[in-house]
Amino acid sequence: MSMDEVMIEMKNVTKRFLLPQGEVTVLEDISFQAREGEFITMCGPSGAGKSTLLRLVNGLLQPSSGEIFYQNKIQKGMNKETSMVFQNFGLLPWLTVAQNVELGLEPRIREIQARHDKVHHYISKVGLEGYEEAYPRELSGGMKQRVGLARALAVEPSLLLMDEPFSSLDVLTSINLRNELLDIWSDRDNMVNTMIMVTHNIEEAIELSDRIIVLSNRPGRVAGDIKIDLPRPRRKRDKEFMEYVDRVFSLLA
Amino acid sequence: MNSSSSEGDKRPHTSLPEIGISQILGLVELLLGKGGREDIYKLAGELSMELGETLTVVKAAELLGLVHTPGGDVEVEPFGAKVIDASIPERKDLIREKLEQLPVFKNVREFLKREEDAEVTREEVLEKLAELIPNDDAETTFSTVVNWGRYAELFGYNDDSQTFYLDL
Repeated sequence: MSMDEVMIEMKNVTKRFLLPQGEVTVLEDISFQAREGEFITMCGPSGAGKSTLLRLVNGLLQPSSGEIFYQNKIQKGMNKETSMVFQNFGLLPWLTVAQNVELGLEPRIREIQARHDKVHHYISKVGLEGYEEAYPRELSGGMKQRVGLARALAVEPSLLLMDEPFSSLDVLTSINLRNELLDIWSDRDNMVNTMIMVTHNIEEAIELSDRIIVLSNRPGRVAGDIKIDLPRPRRKRDKEFMEYVDRVFSLLA
Repeated sequence: MNSSSSEGDKRPHTSLPEIGISQILGLVELLLGKGGREDIYKLAGELSMELGETLTVVKAAELLGLVHTPGGDVEVEPFGAKVIDASIPERKDLIREKLEQLPVFKNVREFLKREEDAEVTREEVLEKLAELIPNDDAETTFSTVVNWGRYAELFGYNDDSQTFYLDL
């Protein structure tokens, strides 16, 4: 695949849900492209349909109207080349760290040793060596999210999706994990090609991503698509950083 | 079994703050982003954390040699900057070196080494910790010891069998 190939494209996607109170339009007329190698953030207030958008991207949900293309082909059903990191970690409490990371691999890698090698490789990548046999109950939030990340990375997705990955973590842990995410993202060994993250935290979006798609609220519409042209690491106190914050903020107002 | 306090480091042991590695690293990263130094009180305000809680994280970072606290400030040590600059696996090695020097961890490791052929249980380590740091709640200290110890791969702990082992 050549660089700059379009990984995901949404064309005029609308998503409605039928609720007891009637039909609700959660997302309206969403169009955007995610290109290979990009780290994109969907930024918007709670309720803007960001999580719904991620589940349209991975094929868990189907659009009510409009089209979704993955690598230029119409997407049908779950996209097996994606995986997701969840806000509340999503770990199975009766499984150890290693078993949780191994979960997505069982259907993909039949040979046990090969699976264990892969699990070990990604446990190492996220800094969880030493915790393989620990249970989620023994882990801090930061460690739990590392497990979530290792599990998502272990299936070697082309597209990594993250749904408010730092929102359940305390301030200091979030700072640490964001930086580690950037380390992993820039790792040359990295199999992940494109990342789409959802957050309501504007500063986080600017700190991490190449591009921000700003979503307005109820129904969610694309209010803006901003390229972040700053070298990493990005400092919140820098004038240019703050200018981006203003830009995003004004699109949401 | 000999719970011997005639061996090992006899210096008074400092309490271990119940703080995770992620928070400690996050603190150092935050400080580096501010030029390396900040007033602790101001820091607490900025993080919307209680002063007591902030002090606990600072203390933990100080114990690991990552920061020091001149006046009412907290300042990153060169070692702290080195740890943050390091890759994810290198960090563990650096922190392990520091942890190996802390009396509590030295003691626990020596204890595990002595009992190499037998299983060392959670209860035995709890007893040891109660002995080493009598003023603290042993359970709290235990969970920090396990947490940091696992991170630095100083030892392993299995919660199913509630046993420790050295084999890393």
